[in-house]
Amino acid sequence: MATRTTVTPGRPRPVDGSLSRLLEAFGKVPVAAVIRRGEELPRALASQVPAVFFLRAPAFHLGPLVWAVQARGKLAFVHIDLIAGLGKDRAGIAFLAREIGVNGIITSHSGLVAAARAEHVISVQRLLLYDDLALPAAMSALDHARPDIVEVLPGVIFPLVVNEIRSRLPLPIIVGGFVTEPAHRDAALQRGALAVSTSTAELWP
Amino acid sequence: MGVMLPAVRDGASLNQALDLGYRQVLLERGSLLSIVGPLAGAARRGVAIFVNLDAVEGLAPDSAALAFLATDLGFSGVLSVKPHLLQDASRFRLRTVQRIHALDSTGLETGLHSLVSPAPYAIAIAPAVAIPQVMASIRSITDTPVWGTGFISTAEQAGEALRAGAAVVSSARLEVWRDFSRTPVS
Repeated sequence: MATRTTVTPGRPRPVDGSLSRLLEAFGKVPVAAVIRRGEELPRALASQVPAVFFLRAPAFHLGPLVWAVQARGKLAFVHIDLIAGLGKDRAGIAFLAREIGVNGIITSHSGLVAAARAEHVISVQRLLLYDDLALPAAMSALDHARPDIVEVLPGVIFPLVVNEIRSRLPLPIIVGGFVTEPAHRDAALQRGALAVSTSTAELWP
Repeated sequence: MGVMLPAVRDGASLNQALDLGYRQVLLERGSLLSIVGPLAGAARRGVAIFVNLDAVEGLAPDSAALAFLATDLGFSGVLSVKPHLLQDASRFRLRTVQRIHALDSTGLETGLHSLVSPAPYAIAIAPAVAIPQVMASIRSITDTPVWGTGFISTAEQAGEALRAGAAVVSSARLEVWRDFSRTPVS
């Protein structure tokens, strides 16, 4: 299996450097490219987006994709809940962090946030807003897990809950989910989102 | 013309919906067993009762629970994201409503491709406010009636989902139930 020689197993890099780098980069270009299929990657690499989110990546063929992203000076994130072939646990995150060298992981599960922290990679926890009745419990979970970044989905809900989220969670927010038009992106950014995540390539600057 | 489906969670909200004249309710949260008497009474009087099996407490997701809902309580239907549970439910002559989360395009695709066969009675999109954005994708895959649940807190939002093609929208807000019965949306 191909591994990146610059990452010494057992000595992961500290998260602080890459997190502040990401926050600063989003300040200039507030868009993350969501990649669902390998063929979508070249356009993201050629764009100015500072971060690439791999949504449905094959775990054991992920290395070259991640390294291509990093070779362009971008940060690579992997959605661990949707990844094929990898355990959704501490060992899975350790593999992504140490063997692949991802910059961060995306997950809906609070338990994996702690594992990401232990592996010194950026944690993006998804706040899935499909049901307003479930919102209080979801916010408590986030408050408890304290990820580095919250990803709120779907985008259309963000304006409805932004005040509640911001009063409870002083964390940077990425808005994703059906962000398909410039108006969706602008609405999220105007309401204080750090960035949007989108698979719509037309929105990658 | 669409239908409002009040989402209730306890005896008080059930009574409020019935007092407003609604003949259909969705038990969306809470313990079914704590208000089983009032619910069964309403069902006997012809009120259509739907249960979100993924969120109510007190029921196992199995055949015994479905038989209890259908045979003992006379409920009308069940909602769930779980295809096998819905297939089981159809054997008890419960109307089956497959819940699909509309959080992003990838998740919506996964949900639509997991549609049960035979087709469910309806699919329920959550959150309902996303329906105007996702209706075209849904219709490219299925003609099954679309319901909407989640984040409907004004009659206006309910109207938008219905105008986008939803047949039924659900809300847990008493104000919406009131507004809705006064201002039918066409």
